[in-house]
Amino acid sequence: MGTVDIRNIRKSYGNVEVLHGVSLHIRDGEFVALVGPSGCGKSTLLRMIAGLEDITAGDIVISDRVVNHVAPKDRNIAMVFQNYALYPHMNVRDNMGFALRQRRMPKPEIESRVDNAARILGLERLLDRKPRALSGGQRQRVAMGRAIVREPNVFLFDEPLSNLDAKLRVQMRSEIKELHQRLKTTTVYVTHDQIEAMTLADRVVVMNGGVIEQQGSPLELYDHPASRFVAAFIGSPPMNFIEGTVVNGTHVRLEDGTTIHVPVTNLGGQARVTIGVRPEHFELSNAGWPATVSVVEPTGSETQITARMSGQIVRILIRGRTFVRPGEVIHLTVPPDLIHIFDDSGTPSIHAITRGIKQHA
Amino acid sequence: MTTVATSAPRRSSGQLGRRVRIVTGVAVTLLFLFPVFWMVLTSFKHQVDIFTSPPKFFFTPTISTYVEYFRRADIERRLINTVIVAAGSGLLSIVVGTMAGYALARIRIRGAATFGVLILLSRGVPPIALAVPMFLVARQLGLTDKHITLILAYSTFLIPYVMWLMRSFFLSLPRELEESAMIDGCSRYGAFFKIIMPISLPGLISTLIFSMILAWEELLFALVLTNRVASTIPVAIAGIAGDTINGANWGALTAVGTITVVPVVIFALLVQKWLIQGLADGATKG
Repeated sequence: MGTVDIRNIRKSYGNVEVLHGVSLHIRDGEFVALVGPSGCGKSTLLRMIAGLEDITAGDIVISDRVVNHVAPKDRNIAMVFQNYALYPHMNVRDNMGFALRQRRMPKPEIESRVDNAARILGLERLLDRKPRALSGGQRQRVAMGRAIVREPNVFLFDEPLSNLDAKLRVQMRSEIKELHQRLKTTTVYVTHDQIEAMTLADRVVVMNGGVIEQQGSPLELYDHPASRFVAAFIGSPPMNFIEGTVVNGTHVRLEDGTTIHVPVTNLGGQARVTIGVRPEHFELSNAGWPATVSVVEPTGSETQITARMSGQIVRILIRGRTFVRPGEVIHLTVPPDLIHIFDDSGTPSIHAITRGIKQHA
Repeated sequence: MTTVATSAPRRSSGQLGRRVRIVTGVAVTLLFLFPVFWMVLTSFKHQVDIFTSPPKFFFTPTISTYVEYFRRADIERRLINTVIVAAGSGLLSIVVGTMAGYALARIRIRGAATFGVLILLSRGVPPIALAVPMFLVARQLGLTDKHITLILAYSTFLIPYVMWLMRSFFLSLPRELEESAMIDGCSRYGAFFKIIMPISLPGLISTLIFSMILAWEELLFALVLTNRVASTIPVAIAGIAGDTINGANWGALTAVGTITVVPVVIFALLVQKWLIQGLADGATKG
C-alpha cells in the first residue's frame, strides 16, 4: 500500500522560494510523472518525498504517515538516480542486496530477492561484475534492480533515462512501463522529456516556476491544455501559436494585415488572441489560411513542413507523403474542434475550455 | 619526392623532440639522484677517503661510521621515535582531516567555506613563528620531550593539508552515492563509512603516505620541543652538522642521512601501487 499525499508543500533556499505551495495526491499503484523545464521544482519535490531535502512548510504523507521528519531510510521508498549512483566498490549482486543487508534480512531471502530481480531485468549473467564493467544500459538496469529488491511502498525516479542514448532510452522506457504493470508499485517519475512523461504515466503533472501548472491523464493534457505553457510543453513537435487581433467575432487579423477566418463560434471579447494549432491538426486544402512553404522534411511515415504565415513560422505535420515544394503557397484548414484560443494572459478562452473532443480523422 | 621531402624533416624533428625529452628526463633524474648517491657512497668510506681529490669512486668500504654513530648519536632510539611520531601524527591527521574535509565538502554549515579558508590560512604562518609559543605552551603543560607533543605539533600542519586534499577528493564523488545509501538504510555516518570510505581508500592512503613523509623529515618543531627522550632523526643530523667543537663530521652525517632516507624509500616502494593509483583516482573520478 503506497499512497503519497503532498499537502501545500513549500521549499525555500534562504530567501528564495522555489516551491510555492504544491499539493498532489498520488493513489496506490499509480504512475505519476512530474514534468517541466529545468528549474521548475520537480526534482526538488521528488527529493523532498525521498527525504533528501528539508520541508520548509507543508506536509508529506506516505501511506498515511506524516514523514516530514522521518529519515530517508525509514520511509520505505526506493530511488533511481540520473547517474545511477551504483556503489563502485561492490559487484552487481552486492549493489542490489545492499539495502536488504542494511535491514539485516536473512541471507537466503536476500539471495532469492536479488536473483528474482536479476531475472526480471535480465542481469543474471552480470551479477559478479563491478559497475565499471557495465554499459550504460546495464548500469541503469542495476539501479532499477536495486530499487526492485526493496519491495518499497513507492518508487522514485529522477530522470533515470537522460544519460542513455536515444535508442536505448526508448527501449528502457518500455521496460519501465512493463515493470510497473507487473509490480504495480506506486511510482513518481521526474523527467524534462514530455514524451517520456506522456508514454509512461497514468497521470502527468506539469510544473512550472514552482507551482503545478496542470495535471491530468496524458491525453487530457494533450486535448485540453489549461494554459499556453502546457499547450507548448506537451506535444511534439510543439503546438503552433499564431497571434493576431479579433475582428468581427470570427476573424483574426494577423500582423501583416492578412485576415483569416477562425471557424469557432465565439472568439470572446478579447482584442488580442493567440490561436493554438498542433502541427498534426493542420490539413492542406484549396482554400484556407495561406502560408508559404520554406522547408519540407519527409520521414517516410509523415512529412513535416515548415512554412511562414504572416511572418510567423508554423510547423505542419502531414501523415504520409505530400508534393508541396519550398516557395509554394499552401492553404491550411483546421477542424474547428481542434483549434485552441488563448487570451492575452495565456489562459484559454471560453471556447477552448468547453470544446468537446471529437475524433480527428 | 616533395611529400617525402616535407614529411622527412617533420618525422626527424619528432624523433629529435623525443630524444630531447628522454635526455632531459635522464639529466634531471641524475641531477636529483647524484647527491643521494654521493651521500650513500660517502657513508661507506673511511675518514681518509672522504676528502680525497679527485674524489674516489672505488675504495675499500667500511661500516665503521654506522657502527660508531648508531651508538654515539643514539640512532636506534631516534629511529623508533621518528617512526612513532610520523605514524602517530599521520594517523591522527588522516582521521581528523578526513572527517573535517568530508564535513566541508558535504554538510551545509553556515560559514563552512570561510572556516575552511581560515584553517588553510593557518598554514601561511611561518613555522618558526609558532615554534617558540609552542615550546612555552608545552613547557607550561609539562609536555616537553614527549612523543605526544610532537604528534600534536605536526598535526597542526598535517590536518589542514589532509583536510584540503580529502575535501577536493570528496567533492569529486557524486553526492548521489551517499543519498542512495541513505535511502538504502544508512545514516549519514553509515553512508560515510560503508560507501565513501572504501571508495576513498586509494586517495586516503596516498594522503597518509605524504603526511607521514612530511612528519618524518620535520626538523624545527622536533628541535624546539624535544631534548633527549623523544628526539627524532633530523635532530640528530642537525646535531652532527652543527657540532661546533669537532666540526661537521661528514662521514657521520652521510651515514645518518642514509639511515633516514632508506626507510622512506622502502616504504614508498611498498606502497607505490597505492600511491600511483590513488593520485590517478583522485584526478579522474567524477
